[in-house]
Amino acid sequence: MLFKAGDSYEHQFLVSEELYSGFIHLFEDRNPLHTNEDFAQGKGFESRVMHGNILNGFLSYFIGECLPTKDVIIHTQEIQYKKPVYLGDQLDFSATVQDYYESVQAVVFKYQFKREGVVLAKGKIQIGLI
Amino acid sequence: MDKEQALKETNEIFVDMFDDEDIVLSYETTAEDVEEWDSLTHIQLVVAIEKHFKVRFTSKEIQSWQNVGEMLDCILTK
Repeated sequence: MLFKAGDSYEHQFLVSEELYSGFIHLFEDRNPLHTNEDFAQGKGFESRVMHGNILNGFLSYFIGECLPTKDVIIHTQEIQYKKPVYLGDQLDFSATVQDYYESVQAVVFKYQFKREGVVLAKGKIQIGLI
Repeated sequence: MDKEQALKETNEIFVDMFDDEDIVLSYETTAEDVEEWDSLTHIQLVVAIEKHFKVRFTSKEIQSWQNVGEMLDCILTK
């Protein structure tokens, strides 16, 4: 059995300049919260807030590259953003198998992103084994 | 729990899953009777039903069901 409840995984992700600028280049979300230091600080943030969907890119990497099989597909995914992510942040990602449904070959992970022990985002992903 | 109650609770799962208040399941309902009941939705339904009724099915059981009634019978044997 490739997955069982309680199995856990960890990975570190860096929100690099290359990633940030690449995201903007590809998706063209230049909202000032993400691109203007003064605007972001005027809204009470330390700095420009990174796009929340950068984290979803990390989730894609986790599912696609970090599991013990490549025979996977994402069914559903949810994320709750708790605190802002900033450029240069080193994120500690962890995921645990919450449920394995043998009947339909589905696996549900609970995951979280932390920075220095503080949860920045968390959620669940359900994948299918194909 | 009796079969009628299981049907009622399963109906609520379907209404939520398909976001369609008009869904009315019967024991004879099949995937062909519900628009958008495709293979991916089927997986989501099974997961939701296993979670709701706190049961676990096998892939063999799932493949044997011909309609909603047979699925409910399976739940009630758990």
